[in-house]
Amino acid sequence: MSGAATDRDPAAGDAEDGWTIVAAVKQVPDSDEVGIDPDTGRLDRANAPAVLNAPDRDALEAALSIRDAVGGTVTAITMGPPTATDVLEEAVAMGCDDAALVTDRAFAGSDTWPTSYALAETVDHLDADVVVCGEETTDSSTGQVPPGIAAHNGWAQLTYVEGVDPLPEEGRLAARRDVEGGHERVAADLPVVVAVAYGEFEPRPAGLHRKLYAENDFEPMELTADDLGIDADDVGMDASPTQVGGMETVEPVDREKETVETPAELLDALADEGVIAR
Amino acid sequence: MTDDADATERSEPIANPSYDDAFDAIVVGAGLAGSAAAVTMADEGLDVLLIERGRYPGAKNVFGGVLYTPTLRELVDVTSAPVERYVAEKRFSMLSDDDETAVSLRPGEWHDPPHNDSYTVLRGEFDRWFAEQAVEAGAVLLTETTVTGLVREDDGRIAGVETDRPDGTITADYVVLAEGGNSLVSEGADLKKPERAENIAVGVKEVLEFPERDGVIRDRFRLSNDAGVSYHYFGEGAVGDAVGGGFIYTNEDTVSVGLAYRLSDAAGSQPKPEQTLNAFKSHPAVAPLLRGARTVEYGAKTIPEGGSESVPELVHDGAVVVGDAAGLVLNNGVHLEGTNMAVESGHLAGEAVADAAERGRTDEAAFRSYPERLEESFVVQNLERYGWLMERVETDRDLIFEELPHALADAGAEYFRMDREPKEKHAEEARERLFETVGGLRGAAKLAYRYRGVLR
Amino acid sequence: MTDAEAGDAESAPSEVDRAGDVWVFIEEHAGDVMSVSWELLTEGRRLADDLGDDLVALVIGEDVGDVADEAIARGADRVLVADDPVFEPYRADPYGTQFRALVEERIPSIVLIGGTHTGRDFAGRVAVPAHAGLTADVTELDVDEDGQLLARRPAFGGDVLATIVCPEHRPQMATVRAGVFETADPEPEREGDVEAVAVVVEEADALTEVRERDVSDTADITDADRIVAVGGGTEGELGPARALAEALDAELAASRKAVDEGWVDGARQVGQTGKTVRPELYVALGVSGAVQHVEGMNDSEVVVAVNDDPNAPIFEHADYGIVGDLFEVAPRLTTALEGEADPEEVLQ
Repeated sequence: MSGAATDRDPAAGDAEDGWTIVAAVKQVPDSDEVGIDPDTGRLDRANAPAVLNAPDRDALEAALSIRDAVGGTVTAITMGPPTATDVLEEAVAMGCDDAALVTDRAFAGSDTWPTSYALAETVDHLDADVVVCGEETTDSSTGQVPPGIAAHNGWAQLTYVEGVDPLPEEGRLAARRDVEGGHERVAADLPVVVAVAYGEFEPRPAGLHRKLYAENDFEPMELTADDLGIDADDVGMDASPTQVGGMETVEPVDREKETVETPAELLDALADEGVIAR
Repeated sequence: MTDDADATERSEPIANPSYDDAFDAIVVGAGLAGSAAAVTMADEGLDVLLIERGRYPGAKNVFGGVLYTPTLRELVDVTSAPVERYVAEKRFSMLSDDDETAVSLRPGEWHDPPHNDSYTVLRGEFDRWFAEQAVEAGAVLLTETTVTGLVREDDGRIAGVETDRPDGTITADYVVLAEGGNSLVSEGADLKKPERAENIAVGVKEVLEFPERDGVIRDRFRLSNDAGVSYHYFGEGAVGDAVGGGFIYTNEDTVSVGLAYRLSDAAGSQPKPEQTLNAFKSHPAVAPLLRGARTVEYGAKTIPEGGSESVPELVHDGAVVVGDAAGLVLNNGVHLEGTNMAVESGHLAGEAVADAAERGRTDEAAFRSYPERLEESFVVQNLERYGWLMERVETDRDLIFEELPHALADAGAEYFRMDREPKEKHAEEARERLFETVGGLRGAAKLAYRYRGVLR
Repeated sequence: MTDAEAGDAESAPSEVDRAGDVWVFIEEHAGDVMSVSWELLTEGRRLADDLGDDLVALVIGEDVGDVADEAIARGADRVLVADDPVFEPYRADPYGTQFRALVEERIPSIVLIGGTHTGRDFAGRVAVPAHAGLTADVTELDVDEDGQLLARRPAFGGDVLATIVCPEHRPQMATVRAGVFETADPEPEREGDVEAVAVVVEEADALTEVRERDVSDTADITDADRIVAVGGGTEGELGPARALAEALDAELAASRKAVDEGWVDGARQVGQTGKTVRPELYVALGVSGAVQHVEGMNDSEVVVAVNDDPNAPIFEHADYGIVGDLFEVAPRLTTALEGEADPEEVLQ
């Protein structure tokens, strides 16, 4: 079930130079396009198109920059329905060498545990040295899949990464980690799962010919549960420890919603509230 | 583990793909002219690449609101196109500050298909659909990519385009320039000169919706089902001192309201376009139509108004120019047409390119059929016919835009004044009022004669 | 784990039956404890009392005896301490391995971890091998009559609160952001049991190495009585906001946008993925009012919003709103406040 740590020495055994880098991306509803309904003040999700999770673009850039530094290949992967190939096209257009769609009915309804398990098996199957993910997704924002992938495989992990520094001579990846109050520089043994912080990598634009290729002629790999040696019982809703027990609309906090014209008026109001004294 | 090679059988990824000369033709801009050219060429079996700078075709396109579809109907199935309403009423109003004098046309036959081939559309939806027809005919659409220049051979032949993307140059035998009124590529490549200010109009437009009200548009504009209106306004009540006018078009759930007037007027003493538009929307004759509306979109564009004399050279070695980029817009106040001309020129250019491709030629002479057919078509015929009108209107601008609206309104008010005087007196005073503006009976006759071209 | 046990249907009680106790991870770095840990201990105390179980604090670090003692004073019945140089500074795999070993050995029912860069980093390393249910960014906690944890968090969009449950797996884990819960005062006379546990991690097993660490004190806005928050509308020009904050003796806070743009340090971010604050006065300058931000400040007593867009959602969540340019309004407010003769009189 949860794979034991695959003991691999990245320096030996790999025929080619460079590292095998895998970038895990996700398709989510477009949070920018989700407008606020001016009448209700609520998000209007129904019409939002599906796009690449914005932090994943940073992840792709980080992955490509590692390849630029040490050589090797970058393969983008995503777990989703067939329509998710759009995000793989974007990844290949940006420069990824190849891409795989991890898709199977058995995966439907997975929470972070089976999702990170399926992805862990995938990156193991692909012999990854480095796995790069976005910090979190704009739709669930738990940030738990990257640590989950590392945990399933018993690999090293680096989260909140703002800068990557490959150390091929050591067989390690060093990174600058954002922590409360400052930063750390941490070096991890390969294989390692990296979660990059949003906004720290400038995603490179897709080249013209590469974009044409990705959108019109490129075909991603498809990996099913069978291909990965995953038992259907170990994924999906039934294998998910957490379930949604109920949903309730949030009671909006009662606010005065008074419009005030001048600062003087405002300060008077605040004085009346007892928040400031006059 | 299963054997992935068998399971997927897909083509191996390509490390350094190149599409140089993979396409026969590159179309710059997926607006109406561009997509018309693309559909035409794809139908003829050419491999076409359609390059659009917006996130999707139509994202960056602005027009007043009415699409005329005679040529479109030959190219694609308009009945499945996303149109808003057909035009059932055309109305022309003269506005002074407080007055409105109007003529309204509602021919019964406009209610029957093909509805005089006049429909309001929203560009974001229509252009997207139209480009999709080109894709279905075999073209490749590439979005979020801006063409920045042309590739030229040593002998000057145009052999491809440069874009803003990395490795952004791509070559092809034929380039169709459909980049719109802001034709920076054509100008940058010295294919046309920047237009003079007096030949450019500025157009501003808002799309308004009526929240929480069902059937407001039908009620306000007296419509049923899919019928819609096209209202045009002139005079100082519309655009103040400038030469131009305003419009209101009804869409299914929204209303397009806007103005178009001379850029040179806009730059001068005129208030900003948004202010002029607000003043128009507040006019006593206009405001009630828009009461309770909320603005959901705002757009502006430049409109080439140079007429047939401003049309640049349409053919070059390796390239042709179509649509607004070719100045093919008829804007004389009475007629506001650019989209039908764009489609026509795109279609004719597409056929000329397909023809040249069959003969293996890329020299400009091989495309001659395009400008020749264009000249015989309504496009150039109409432009030439109305070329004189803009000059005359400029000369008479004070009369037409300021004095005449007042005179008509005053005369009308006088003619229908209800007091205890006999009607004969009112008729006489009305006539006097009108004649003092136009210069008596002779003056009226002269004025009619000067503008006879409108009806000839 | 579960599968092996399930084989013994009759004699072995289910995982749910065997699980007990509420655990709270106490996060410390070089002896300094993160305030969110004390907040969780207070909330954990409430849950433990509801369940009739013990509240156990987990301290992993080096030379952490004082931390253990404080945990008792702050409500823990017992403290499990893993004290070893391998645990300082923090790294995901040693902490994960140690914590996971304790969890598998003692099977807590509930585990609460602060949603900091540390907590969110290693929680998964416990949850995955333990096949536990992990809910992130919880805003409300409760137990139902069966003793099951109800972890509530806003669903995407924020206008809905989803309750996440973990019916068959233990422990039930949750991460909680700073400021969501309040801290009770410590009771120094409280007594409890401190147990030193076996350290199961060796340096040779570690997968990472911290080569440098550069941290300083961070602002803690969760305690502030008054806050001036800046959003995208400031476009990075924070002068007027800072001046107003000073005049009000307020802490500066920020929306996610302002932090992502690099204008303000992340420690000052208010919102679903930042801190939760509950000041007396919250002044939002140029903040649009996205639900994820409102989530973090909705418990403020009085909310004032300044925005030049009359349709900005923030106005739905404000007591007083000024539609206008913050670069004009904020300085005028500042001047008006400073104009008071005696500053002491201005602020209660």
